[in-house]
Amino acid sequence: MLETYNQHKEDEQMRKILSSTKINASENLKYRIMRQIETENALVPKKGKPIKESGNVLKEMGSLFGTMYAVLAAMIAGVYFLFGKEFLLSPQFIGTVILIASVFSLLWLISRLDSYLKEKKRIH
Amino acid sequence: MNENQRVQQVLSGNSSAFAYFVEAYQDMAITIAHRICGNMQDAEDVVQESFVKAYRNLRSFRSDSKFSTWLYRIVYNTAITHSKTQMWIGSRETVVEEASQVADNALEINMDEMERKEIVSEVMQRMPKGDALLLTLYYLEDNPVKEIAKITGLNEPNVKVKLFRARKLFKEMVVSNYGIQITGS
Repeated sequence: MLETYNQHKEDEQMRKILSSTKINASENLKYRIMRQIETENALVPKKGKPIKESGNVLKEMGSLFGTMYAVLAAMIAGVYFLFGKEFLLSPQFIGTVILIASVFSLLWLISRLDSYLKEKKRIH
Repeated sequence: MNENQRVQQVLSGNSSAFAYFVEAYQDMAITIAHRICGNMQDAEDVVQESFVKAYRNLRSFRSDSKFSTWLYRIVYNTAITHSKTQMWIGSRETVVEEASQVADNALEINMDEMERKEIVSEVMQRMPKGDALLLTLYYLEDNPVKEIAKITGLNEPNVKVKLFRARKLFKEMVVSNYGIQITGS
C-alpha cells in the first residue's frame, strides 16, 4: 500500500519535472502539413462515378441471349414452315438448337471473363 | 464532435477537417520525433511526412483504437526510418559511466525553475534515445504501458522493464551530473 503510494507520488513528481521537456511545434508546421495535403489532393484526379457493374451485366446478358432467342425463334419458324412439325422434334434439330445455345453461352462466358480481367487491371 | 466523427468527415472528402488532428497532436508528435532524430529540422520533416502518411492511410485507421496511438506509431516508424536509428541497442553503459565521472566534480547548486528545465532537457538529450522516448510517452502523454507497447512495437513486460530502467537512469544522471536531487517545486 505504502509502496504504491510512493510510486504514485514519484510518478507525479516525474510528470511535473518532465512536463517542461515537451517541444512546441513551430508556427508554420501546421500550415506546411495542410498545404502538402491540399496540394496532393489537387493533384489526384477526381474519381468519376463508378460504372454500374450490375446494370452493365444485365444489359450485356439481355443483348446476347436476346440475339440467341431471336435466332432460335427464326430457326424454329423456318423449320416449321419448310419441314413441318415432326422435324422440330427430331434429334437432328434438337442437337442444332443445343449447339447454338452452347455457342452463345460460350460467348457470354468469354465476355464476362473479359470484363472481369479489365476491371481487375483498372483497380491495380 | 468526437475523433471518429472527425475521421469520417475527412474520409468523406473534407480534407480541411484534418487540421484538427494536426493542431491537437503536432506538439507531441514533434517531441517524439525529436527524441529519435535529435534535431528540430529532421523532427519537423518527420512530423510533416507522418501527418501526410496518416492522411493518406486514414481508411486503414480502426476506430476501436486511439487516434493518437495510431499516429504516434506512424511518427515513431517514420522517425526511425528517417534517422536510421536502432532504438533499443543503446549506449546505456557509456552514458552511466560518463555520468559517474562528471559526478566527481559536480557542485551543489540552487536551482530556479529555468535552470531545472534546462537540466532536465539536457539530461533527456543525453539519455539513450529509447529511454528518453519511453519517459516522454509515459509521463508527457499519460500513455498506459499497453499503448506504449503498441507505439514502439515492444511487448508490455519489456516496456515495463525498460521504463523502470529509464526512470532509474534519469534520476542517476541528474544526481551524478549535477550533484542535485531534483524535486518538483
